[in-house]
Amino acid sequence: MPTTSTIPSEYIHATEFADLALDIATTMLASGAHCGRITRNLNRLAKPWNLEIQMQLTFIGVVMTVTSEFDPQHTVTRYRNTPPHSVHLELLTEFSRMTWKAADGDLTFQEVVQETERIKKISHYNYWAVAVAVGISCACLCALAGGSFTDAMVACVAAFTGSIVRVFILRNKFNPMISFVIASFVTTLITGANMIYGWGAAPETALATAVLYLVPGVPLINSLIDLIEGYLSSAWNRALFGASILLCIAVGMTLSIALLGINNF
Amino acid sequence: MTIDFIFRVLFDFGLAFVVGFCWGMLFGSPTRVLWIAGLLGGLGHSLRFVLLASGTGLITATLIGSVSIGLIGIYCAHKAHHPPVVFTMPACITLIPGLYAYRTMLGCIKLTDPATVQHNPAIIGQIGYNLMLTMSLLFTLAIGISIAALLFRSKSVRDINFGKKREVESV
Repeated sequence: MPTTSTIPSEYIHATEFADLALDIATTMLASGAHCGRITRNLNRLAKPWNLEIQMQLTFIGVVMTVTSEFDPQHTVTRYRNTPPHSVHLELLTEFSRMTWKAADGDLTFQEVVQETERIKKISHYNYWAVAVAVGISCACLCALAGGSFTDAMVACVAAFTGSIVRVFILRNKFNPMISFVIASFVTTLITGANMIYGWGAAPETALATAVLYLVPGVPLINSLIDLIEGYLSSAWNRALFGASILLCIAVGMTLSIALLGINNF
Repeated sequence: MTIDFIFRVLFDFGLAFVVGFCWGMLFGSPTRVLWIAGLLGGLGHSLRFVLLASGTGLITATLIGSVSIGLIGIYCAHKAHHPPVVFTMPACITLIPGLYAYRTMLGCIKLTDPATVQHNPAIIGQIGYNLMLTMSLLFTLAIGISIAALLFRSKSVRDINFGKKREVESV
């Protein structure tokens, strides 16, 4: 446990700290942290500088009040919107480690600011690598669901193509929801061809598993964790976000199935 | 317990390992712990496979699989010095009920055609069955991942000790 007896010599203004903490909180929210984790990390970070944090975390923004423990008059309240959401779990590890280090008194405030900047710049895996991984994992999921080797190959190609199409759409700054519709449309078009031409033994498994890479697992699971831990507004926001993505996937699949003929399914 | 059965369990483990590993990449887990995600995924899924083969219900088997992923994930978090969510999240995705979700959706599309409903009214029952199964399985996955928050009193996973009597003031 951190010892509060080793008070650093530096004095940090609550405004300065609020800016840093909001930066960390919004980045963590966008990369898929549940509210309990953010609250814990930031309280840990505030301890060495004798500050106290109160937060209201929603899915789209953070309201934060920072109070000095020595001087209650010295209080600041700020709000900031989150950047676009994209799951990146490595950032959670890095922020968690940084806050533990800061809580143990190993980092000065300036070092924490620099470390935050570094962590924010950590890049995700290359999207080609992710697309290949997505293809392979959808093929394996297809095999686990009882598909034959041919079905698995079709699922692999379909998931790979859909994943690349989605990155392409997002790069051109279209609405993220549209990217889910089109990606699931393209994926289902390929797996639907498998259904119509009967390449594999169990084409239904390829249809069902090839779109799983779009499923918003992190928001949905975080929503339930928030519900358990009592962050109700965030829980509902996440559930709504996850449900609308699921709806978009269903719309894309429906369009594709309607195009290929519902009686073939 | 034949050789054939063991071989099938190992095959199941291998496939789920790859799924966990690749899903870790999709979620941006650190490169060094991707194999832990794969291992946990393989473990949870093959455990479910064995339970299903021994006659356990699907929901119970998935619950046991995801809870064991969650618990072993806490142990791995201590060893690898990473938050458990980095590997339990991709690992639990291996248990995702994709086929039932798809059948629910396909049923709903067919429900829009009045002729189909008249010829085959049982379709409503099928949709209800698939929907409830999908939702229950998703809930069990969430329970598995948040098992640390549900079972243990300490707020941070770093403070959880297995098998040791803990002092209350360290919470």
